[in-house]
Amino acid sequence: MSRQCKNCGGSDIDTDPARGSAVCTACGSVLEDNIIVSEVQFVENSGGVSSAVGQFVSADGTSKAPVLGSGFHTSLGKESRAQTLQNGKRQIHNLGSQLQLNQHCLDTAFNFFKMVVSKHLTRGRKMTHVIAACLYLVCRTEGTPHMLLDLSDLLQVNVYILGKTFLLLARELCINAPAVDPCLYIPRFAHMLEFGEKTHEVSMTALRLLQRMKRDWMHTGRRPSGLCGAALLVAARMHEFRRTVKEVISVVKVCETTLRKRLTEFEETPTSSLTIDEFMRVDLEKECDPPSFVAGQKKVKMQQLEQELVKKLEEYQGEIDSYRDEIETQLAGSSRTKMKGIYASYAREDDDSLSVTSGLTGDEDAEDEEMEAAAKHLNQEFISQVLNRRDQGGKKDLDGRKNTVPLPNQPKHVPLTALLGPLPSAASLGLTDSIRQCITETTNVEEKSDSGELDLDGIDEEEIEKYILNEIEVEAKTELWMKQNEEYLREQKEKEERIAKEKEQGTYKEKPKKPSKKREPILASTAGEAIEKMLEQKKISSKINYDVLRDLNSKGSASSSTQQAEDVPTSGSGRKRLTRRKKQPNKSNLGLAKPASLMGKRLRPLISSVPKKKRTAAALFTPSMTMMLPPAAPEPPPAPTPPPVLESGPVAYDEPAEEEEEIEEEAEESCVSAMELIGGNEYGCEAVEEEVF
Amino acid sequence: MEPSNDVALDIIVTNVVSVFRTRCHLNLRTIGLEGTNVIYKPEVGKVLMKLRKPRITASIWSSGKIICTGATSEEEAKLGARRLARCLQKMGFKVRFSDFKVVNVLAVCSMPFQIRLIEFTKNNRPIASYEPELHPAASYRIKNLRSTVQVFSTGNITVTGPNVQSVASAVEEIYPLLFECRKTLS
Repeated sequence: MSRQCKNCGGSDIDTDPARGSAVCTACGSVLEDNIIVSEVQFVENSGGVSSAVGQFVSADGTSKAPVLGSGFHTSLGKESRAQTLQNGKRQIHNLGSQLQLNQHCLDTAFNFFKMVVSKHLTRGRKMTHVIAACLYLVCRTEGTPHMLLDLSDLLQVNVYILGKTFLLLARELCINAPAVDPCLYIPRFAHMLEFGEKTHEVSMTALRLLQRMKRDWMHTGRRPSGLCGAALLVAARMHEFRRTVKEVISVVKVCETTLRKRLTEFEETPTSSLTIDEFMRVDLEKECDPPSFVAGQKKVKMQQLEQELVKKLEEYQGEIDSYRDEIETQLAGSSRTKMKGIYASYAREDDDSLSVTSGLTGDEDAEDEEMEAAAKHLNQEFISQVLNRRDQGGKKDLDGRKNTVPLPNQPKHVPLTALLGPLPSAASLGLTDSIRQCITETTNVEEKSDSGELDLDGIDEEEIEKYILNEIEVEAKTELWMKQNEEYLREQKEKEERIAKEKEQGTYKEKPKKPSKKREPILASTAGEAIEKMLEQKKISSKINYDVLRDLNSKGSASSSTQQAEDVPTSGSGRKRLTRRKKQPNKSNLGLAKPASLMGKRLRPLISSVPKKKRTAAALFTPSMTMMLPPAAPEPPPAPTPPPVLESGPVAYDEPAEEEEEIEEEAEESCVSAMELIGGNEYGCEAVEEEVF
Repeated sequence: MEPSNDVALDIIVTNVVSVFRTRCHLNLRTIGLEGTNVIYKPEVGKVLMKLRKPRITASIWSSGKIICTGATSEEEAKLGARRLARCLQKMGFKVRFSDFKVVNVLAVCSMPFQIRLIEFTKNNRPIASYEPELHPAASYRIKNLRSTVQVFSTGNITVTGPNVQSVASAVEEIYPLLFECRKTLS
């Protein structure tokens, strides 16, 4: 450690650890006083055994703050953060143990939680939601078979609310949770369905089914649990286990309708026509389209067909008219019931999924006959033409059905529905052109909104008149409305009476529903005044002495600042300083004061040597306070202010509480600069307390 | 990567939401009793008024702030809003039409191909998010346009943004990304 003496430039410096001082041997100037050492001290016990002096401190900082002096205070700024973390840890452990997560996962979750707290994302959110989201994040990254639904079950919270919190946290923490794979859930659900020894086999079969479903595009956009349920149900049947739909849905937590739908979708894939053995051996190459896409395509095709048919109809107008009437009467009776018939088979209480298919085909057989009867009336040529077109234009995978008859029947069905009730298809097409025009045109419309006048062109006066009722109508409506809203009106009346009574009694308490934060606009002549008034209204933190802060900032109030400086020493006579302080709880001050006094000595050298840095600290500190200060940065307090303020500090520390309050505030002020010295902290004002210790 | 200029995609605007102020206090009870197509909800404190010609629904508050929804284009929204103001004027309020602003535009568009959502989400990591347990679509937020695109696996997308121009730009921006992850029929 070769340093140079500042006075003489000599490099021979004598450090005395006993006295804790460093002295230059050339000129004798003391360079350092009260050197801080970092050594381990040993103490000898009664048995002659030496042991180190010190305490063990836990790594996560959950231990209580070290006791200083008499240590009679408990609430500090830092403690709040530690308390939050401690509380969070406890809750994570509680919830995690219910989910049977291992220790590693819980620790990871706690780390996430720490990150969340440091980013202030817990503000405005229920702690339980945040904890649940952290846990779910861990589940996703580790790939455990826990669903968001499980968490919401435990907490009795809406799953979408949890989902919202989870998405937000994942985004803020930049954590990319891998997408949920339904395969993860299979072992868990299989276990819950109790297949005994064959659980593993059933799981494997279900997994294969799932893979098949993935290739057939059934899994995008769907809840993974629904797919798992369907796969497990089929796998169970394949291995001759009787598991009813009800049992499966109670395990998997989806609705019965969803399960049925998945099953029917799977039926439509070519895989479903394979036998069990074939399925285990062979894997079909062809991939299918997603079912919703298929449904959409169907609709589009129907519409296209209709258009073509409408055109055709115009050609064959005469002949078809007569036939149409006959067909209409017949079909109006039968076709609707037929439609109901098909859907009824879906809704029927049915354990066997396969029977659904048979039900469908059975209904369609009956339908065939009706169709044939109707077809006789129509022109054969016409129908054959349509059929040809149908076969040529885009084939769809309906091969899953055992009956191929439905295919030609559908076009027969289609033209008839077109006859019965043409759907508005052309309308949507016609509009797209005009809308595209709208989009490409510039949408800058001149507004007279500045003047507030109403531009009346394009407004049909007569039509508007229709919107307003005439007198008789008004009366009638008034009566009706009064009757309808009687209860509400009565409640309003009672409320008013109650308020009037309380007013008379003098016990009237203004209890607005929402604490309305309506403030009058601040009228001030100078910037300094504006700050003062704003500070009075907006109390940001109780741990800051606003008066001193104002001193730092108010530019043209040099006189007032010196006045306040003078107040500091003179108020030692016991004047309650609460008027100036506005809002400072005494307890915290008392607590801070004592240790501050002990620190007073230490801080003095820092303070005296850094008046310059204090200025910058003041400038730095103000933006972090998020207060609306005028851009013209107010100059720092004039140099004479610090010395008188400081001198009162050390002198007063033996005197009663009020005096200590002074020190505390001065210590705080000086601590602000010390904090900035060490390096700005994102905590802003809260860090002030940290630095006191 | 196919340029999106060659493809003619139909962007159909389905909803335009706008707000404006009448700069005067409105007596909701009068409006509720004198208007033809109005619903007065005193518990919430607003009146719902529905217009037929530009098919819009307006929520009217007593402070004079009005929200108009249901229009299919920005011009229509403005026309509807003006109509509404005229109607209120006729009821006897000193209405002024000020601060008209289109707040939200919702449009749908259909891609001619299907989309692999998981791949799409992987490629566009933090901007796109897909949570099948919550919603079947992947949502993609474009910050500079302040628009959100919801992508469904069938190839349909819904776009919401502050104006029609941003919606169109959003579709243009997202088209190449979707094209990358399209599902080619085997």
